[in-house]
Amino acid sequence: MVKGLSSQKLLKNNVLEENLCTGCGACVGLCPYQVIYHDRTVQLHYCDLTEGKCYAFCPRTPTDFAKLRELLFDVNDLTPEIGAVKAYYLTRATDVSLRDVAQHGGTVTALMELALAEGLIDSAIVSFRNQEFLQNGSMAKDKKTIRKNAGSKFTVSPTIAAFNQLVNQEAGKVGVVATPCQVLALAKMKAQSQKDESGKINQLQLVIGLYCGWALSMEKFSQMLAKYNIKLDAIKRMDIPAGKNILELYTEAGVKEISFDEAQACIREACRYCIDSTAEYADVSVGAARFSGNAEEQRRWNQLIVRTQKGRYLIELAVKRGVLEIREAPAESLQELKKAAAEKKKAALKNIMRKSGSAKNLLYLDRRDAVVQAILEQSR
Amino acid sequence: MSKLLSPAKTEVLFMGNEAIARGALEAGLSVAAGYPGTPSSEVIENLASVAGQRNLYVEWSTNEKVAVEVAAAASFAGLRSMCVMKQNGVNVASDFLLHLTASGTRGGMVLVSCEDPGALSSVNEGESRYFARMLEIPLLEPANFQEAKDLTKWAFELSEKIHNIVMLRSVTRMSHASGNVICGSLTDKSRVARFVYDGPITDPLRGPVISTPVVAKHRLQQEKLEKAKKLFEESPFNKYFGPKKPQLLIITSSVCFLYSQEAVSSLGLQKRAGILKLGCTWPLPERLLKKYLRLTDKIMIVEEVLPFMEESVKVLAAGMPKEIGLKTFYGKIDKTLPAVGELNPDIICAALSKVMKVKCKSIPAAYVKGLQKAAALIPPRDQTFCPGCPHRASFWSINTALKRDGREGFVCGDIGCYAMAALTPAIGFHTVRTLHSMGSGTGLACGFAKLGAFGFDKPVLSVCGDSTFYHAVIPALINAQHNRADITFVVLDNAGTAMTGFQPHPGLTTSAMGEAVPAVDIAQICAAIGAKVAISDPFDLDGTSKLLNSFMEQSGSLNVLILRQICALSPEKKGKKKFEMRVDEALCLGEDCGCNRLCTRIFRCPALTWDRTKKKAVVDEVICAGCGVCSSICPQKAIMKTEVIS
Repeated sequence: MVKGLSSQKLLKNNVLEENLCTGCGACVGLCPYQVIYHDRTVQLHYCDLTEGKCYAFCPRTPTDFAKLRELLFDVNDLTPEIGAVKAYYLTRATDVSLRDVAQHGGTVTALMELALAEGLIDSAIVSFRNQEFLQNGSMAKDKKTIRKNAGSKFTVSPTIAAFNQLVNQEAGKVGVVATPCQVLALAKMKAQSQKDESGKINQLQLVIGLYCGWALSMEKFSQMLAKYNIKLDAIKRMDIPAGKNILELYTEAGVKEISFDEAQACIREACRYCIDSTAEYADVSVGAARFSGNAEEQRRWNQLIVRTQKGRYLIELAVKRGVLEIREAPAESLQELKKAAAEKKKAALKNIMRKSGSAKNLLYLDRRDAVVQAILEQSR
Repeated sequence: MSKLLSPAKTEVLFMGNEAIARGALEAGLSVAAGYPGTPSSEVIENLASVAGQRNLYVEWSTNEKVAVEVAAAASFAGLRSMCVMKQNGVNVASDFLLHLTASGTRGGMVLVSCEDPGALSSVNEGESRYFARMLEIPLLEPANFQEAKDLTKWAFELSEKIHNIVMLRSVTRMSHASGNVICGSLTDKSRVARFVYDGPITDPLRGPVISTPVVAKHRLQQEKLEKAKKLFEESPFNKYFGPKKPQLLIITSSVCFLYSQEAVSSLGLQKRAGILKLGCTWPLPERLLKKYLRLTDKIMIVEEVLPFMEESVKVLAAGMPKEIGLKTFYGKIDKTLPAVGELNPDIICAALSKVMKVKCKSIPAAYVKGLQKAAALIPPRDQTFCPGCPHRASFWSINTALKRDGREGFVCGDIGCYAMAALTPAIGFHTVRTLHSMGSGTGLACGFAKLGAFGFDKPVLSVCGDSTFYHAVIPALINAQHNRADITFVVLDNAGTAMTGFQPHPGLTTSAMGEAVPAVDIAQICAAIGAKVAISDPFDLDGTSKLLNSFMEQSGSLNVLILRQICALSPEKKGKKKFEMRVDEALCLGEDCGCNRLCTRIFRCPALTWDRTKKKAVVDEVICAGCGVCSSICPQKAIMKTEVIS
């Protein structure tokens, strides 16, 4: 840490101005100085504190990953590509109506509904989208609200800001549905709470991570849509169907297919420096199923990684209560996932080195970290 | 009875501006017009307060140019009239003045310019004395309070003798200081307004009032000035004080005369230095100058701010070397005295001691040390907005909107209390990046908005107060609309010319004389120009900042946001709190991460104080205006507001 600079200034210099900000919202809602506007983190006023939470919680400031892994997982479960794996399945919600509104198999929504119904959590922090297509985090305490917010969003949501702002004592036990960067922020908050037992992070009981390859930059995406005369609020649903290199935009007028190259150009720069595509610091991570066979069939399933004891308990309960259908995933599916995740990590490291201009400077990452080392080995 | 109407021969303590007003009344003034500006405002205010009793017409005009025009019409109709403004106002009025001085006046007409050396309450210390030279009109400068009255009265007589406007210049330390004045009699006015215009164009007193034929009228104008100069030669307002054979002659005017007298006496130079005090400073009376320049070969000229008199004296001296001999001049040109800021007796003492090679009685070291020690105890006090000031809330929202917008946009500032946002950037949350003359913020914003073709891509805002809006912003706004300058213009409407003391303006329903008048609506003007107009309460931080962002995100239109909230010091509001405020200490985070004293470190309302011992914010209920805004910025909701039920 550069001596004398405030945490906020470091955040500005090292994260915001470096375009590393993921828009997760970890530094927002802690204090009046940072806010999220559209998908940008904005510093409103100067703060001169040197040990601020904003810098400590940010997923793009230096992190002791080894310590986090030790804190959250059984070391025997750890893999360099996709983090801790206790179990790996293909899953989908048993409720067909849920599958219709959800992105793929409806697993995430089914699990959150179950966690609420069973009292594992009292409130859920999920992302929602308003009319201007702006993401925001919101707190849901019932099934109806959760279901309303089902579906992938493809742009960042300041979910952790919602956690910071909305969780109070009445929120009770809290579950969060979050992307990898957000999951990492929550893990960092948890690690910090070892020092401070009074923090609201101790109300966090369940983290369901979402697989994430990238998010769209609102500014770039809006500009692209403007080209096709599509209004943001006209988009009902978005998807990247397996095997097809396209982004689908579902509107009243039909499905607009955007070429992958064009969609890629709209990706938030920060996502290019992200090494986590499977939300490695969650209890359970969920993504779209990828297996050989019928594409329409795939679309109806999720793949799921159980990472913690808490995660295992939830999945077992879900099967017991009959809300989740489970299939053993074919062995090659896990290999495929690991391969894809490793590729993402390699690409990110390459992008980071290109940005820093040095193979030694990995910005928020550390060469000495075991996972970074393993991936660098694989790259050779 | 107003002391302004004291009977003749009574001695009254008058503020300089009151003395000027009294002088005008003694001269039989009928019409006075002005635009508020420190240190000039009290002249019109005082005249307005006796308008009914003295059968005057007094108005606060929309701007200084209009004020001179209104007063000139009275002069054209044969009445005595006066226009009053601060130095910057003369700049505004100068276009009309350049024509008026060419056409000439009829009834006595005086232009009072109250100037602000050191810019104590201005954003420049402009010298309007140079206007007298450019306009080719006589200039008078009173050197004490009695003279402030007497010279004003005489200025009307002079104007009527030469049929041109006469300029009277005061400065802050004259206008705003007070001294004893022996009153003269208030003449009964019997003049009837009659404008004669059917004579030939070449007859300035009976024909149409016009500056053509230009050369002939210009020649006439210079003859008028010559006539004034002749009168100056005999004027009792120019007077010499000192020995018959001084080693040094000090030529001075205005309050610098008092400073010079003090400096001479404190250095014990009464027998060595003489002072020629001039009340008539342009054009200089040549014969009088010749007489005194002969006394010695060392001449020092003492004046504020620029070497206006010094230049004139040197020009005169250059024309009469045989009669007066070679001189050494001390003043601003040779840097014996500074040509910036106010003067004071100490500065003049230092200059005199150098020129006369005498030791300046130095201040005892112990005193200086004690002074420094005492000064260190004074807590630093920022220039800031008052408790409950709507501007603080307005700039808070402007900052929020600009930062959220993220394109590094900025505000072009304007003249009013809100100019402090430019002078002390922290109190405007570092949003205001330009500040010039009245109305110029919006004109500058127009210009910035048209730089897109050259790579400029920032959103531009301009702000102005309600009085400034009428004064000079409307043409810039029309320019923005007509030339498609996409700007967001914010009117900080606090219902009065607040900075100078709540003088009424065209947006209000009461005139300077207290009469009911129709208000001219800002929103309607903007809408008629074609702008998108919204109105918000600046105390609603969330609503205001959202409106600003939506405006900044729309391109292709002129957007106007009117932020309406009465000034906290307004007589209408003062002392009436809407909310009782208090800090819940249990909730206040103080310096901890999560707040870090947002209210006392950033928001900085003077009514929010920091208890160093408890490390908590405290509301100073004595000065808190009860606006309630701080409760909406506190991240902990620790600043509680309770509505006051009246």
